[in-house]
Amino acid sequence: MTPHRASPREPTGADTVSDSNLTTGESVLEFDGLHKSFGDNHVLDGVGFSVAPGSMFGFCGSNGAGKTTTMRIAMGLVRADAGTVRWRGRPVDQEIRRRIGYMPEERGLYPKMRVGEQVTYFARLHGLDAGAAARASEEWTGRLGLGERRGDPVEKLSLGNQQRVQLAAALVSRPEVLILDEPFSGLDPVGVDSLAEGLADQARQGVPVVFSSHQLDLVERLCDSVGILARGRMVATGTVEELRRREAGRLLRVVVPEAAHGWAAALPGVRVVCEQAGDTLLELAAGTDDQSVLAAAVRTGRVTHFAWREPTLVELFREVVAAPTAEAAA
Amino acid sequence: MTAPRTPGSGELVRLVAGREISTRLRDKTFLISSAVILLLVLGAMVFQAVVASGASKVTIGVVGDRAAMQPALVAQGEAAGADVTVVGLADAAAARRALASGDIDGALIDGTGSSPRLLVERTPDRTLTAGVQGAVGQVALGRQLTQAGIDEFRVPQVDVTAIHPGNDPTGERTGVAVVGMIVLYTLLILISQFVAQGVVEEKSTRVVELLLSTMKPWQLLAGKVIGLGLLGLAQIVAIAVVGVVGALAFDVVSLPGQLIGTVLWVVAWFVLGYAFYASVFAAAASLVSRQEDLAGVITPMSMVLVVGFFVAIQAASNPTGLLAVVTSYVPGLSPLVMPVRMAGGGVAWWQVLLAVVLQLVAIALVVRLGGRIYAGALLRTSGKTKLREALRAERL
Repeated sequence: MTPHRASPREPTGADTVSDSNLTTGESVLEFDGLHKSFGDNHVLDGVGFSVAPGSMFGFCGSNGAGKTTTMRIAMGLVRADAGTVRWRGRPVDQEIRRRIGYMPEERGLYPKMRVGEQVTYFARLHGLDAGAAARASEEWTGRLGLGERRGDPVEKLSLGNQQRVQLAAALVSRPEVLILDEPFSGLDPVGVDSLAEGLADQARQGVPVVFSSHQLDLVERLCDSVGILARGRMVATGTVEELRRREAGRLLRVVVPEAAHGWAAALPGVRVVCEQAGDTLLELAAGTDDQSVLAAAVRTGRVTHFAWREPTLVELFREVVAAPTAEAAA
Repeated sequence: MTAPRTPGSGELVRLVAGREISTRLRDKTFLISSAVILLLVLGAMVFQAVVASGASKVTIGVVGDRAAMQPALVAQGEAAGADVTVVGLADAAAARRALASGDIDGALIDGTGSSPRLLVERTPDRTLTAGVQGAVGQVALGRQLTQAGIDEFRVPQVDVTAIHPGNDPTGERTGVAVVGMIVLYTLLILISQFVAQGVVEEKSTRVVELLLSTMKPWQLLAGKVIGLGLLGLAQIVAIAVVGVVGALAFDVVSLPGQLIGTVLWVVAWFVLGYAFYASVFAAAASLVSRQEDLAGVITPMSMVLVVGFFVAIQAASNPTGLLAVVTSYVPGLSPLVMPVRMAGGGVAWWQVLLAVVLQLVAIALVVRLGGRIYAGALLRTSGKTKLREALRAERL
């Protein structure tokens, strides 16, 4: 697969295209050229992306790719060696951070503190006065289905409910931005759905939501735009559609039931991804004429299916992440 | 809905402190330990009062010439510091019954006769025996002298002259200071321990990440230390008030002014000691991520406290000794040793001032250094952080 990975590095490469696409729109939250090393370990190597108001940004990447570090830089928990995170053009500082709802990767709550009081406490730390904090705490615990549990210590709750308390703590101050590190991990399918709905609701109200996840199907379903991080760099950013279009013209599914096995193997610029009983998936190198592939297919027999295959996000992810040499070469 | 404002440092510190206080006020460990300390102080006072008064109440039954014996018995009792009550009894059988029922401590039979006898229930009390013997002797001697024609006789009164007149307060003051020091030590250990546990709790539960996205490490630390410190202060003040009121009510002390002065110094030294140990404990605790590892990092500092405690106990008996004098200036030890030394007397004001200033300087140092360690180590939530790493870590 690797030889073809030069494409995002070409003049209209992923970084340039996606950035310009996003910045031409209205973007409120910008991550710009973040660099971070821990000792000799270069965790972030120029991470940049922007998020439009009311949009959901899915942040994907393998373990250790630097997602958490990027988010922690935004929250002021790690200091970037270079680069800035801006909110409406202003570098994010303590004051702006107070308007960000944050969910850390490793959940953090006081286990012995009661649910209602805990959510109220975080509301107050974000600047709500006592009365408003109590009302907001009541509202959010209610909305997240924790109304009955307000008086219980957090440690008495199930993991799923603790997760909801964590979300309530992030939402209670009516944040203008949400930054959530793996918010879906550890949730059952019902929990995933209700959280997804909650986040979509926030986005509809104009709150940009940035979240990281390994559940790419979820990201594909929920997110307006996606960023894929690998080895400290954004290897792809844009809407799922854009990423698909970029990859489109590369995967071709051809079904010729009576074709001889290996009919496409010799075609120039074509690699057979898989072939099974006349159903072949072909990867075309840049510049390869799809019509010549069709002609070759017709020669082998009756063509029942000939179409570009829309790659799933999972495939896109594998594609861009499994390309270490292209990065190094570039 | 009111728009959120940006809370200032003062407000954040207050919020953190408020949470610490309200959490601890509902914490059983805290409530029980507070009650136990208070009860111990009260108990010590009641014990004192009982011991002081219990020994001095003696009831003696007299079979025979009660009128003749009573003044002599009371006078003897007074000399021995006992408050003697004399009751008349009909006969020996009545005396045995009264002894058996515990109404009397001893029964004197035929005190004015030739063969006086003293009946007691079990072991004869030496004070009782000596007093009764003295009284019998005194009455007999008087009678014999009268019989010999000497109506008036005078026993020369011993004149007591005090070289330093007035009630000698040193022993009493030292006693109060030692009790105060024990309370101070207990609270220092307890509250500093709370600070350390709180720091680790926030690290181990990762809640610190959420907290630090809204405030700076020093605000979190200040809130925690101040909140728990106020609790500790409230506790020691409550104990002091109960102690002073109790001591006055039970009449355990003779000089209330001295007592209050010593108690106030103990409270002041608590504030100084707490500021020092809380900062040190917080910094040490921030190096570990699990409660199980906590003991390892705070034991060295706890040992300093324990050493201070024993030196202070030693200083009570030898307040002018080299050890007491030197350690009363050493920051960390001075809060325990100096109050005891001061109670022992002979400490000039400048010496106290020097100890206070040295302790304040040490507090300023540990707050700065401890704050740096805390801020550097707080977000390293995996395993143990080395001191040097914490100091070198980037500050947020």
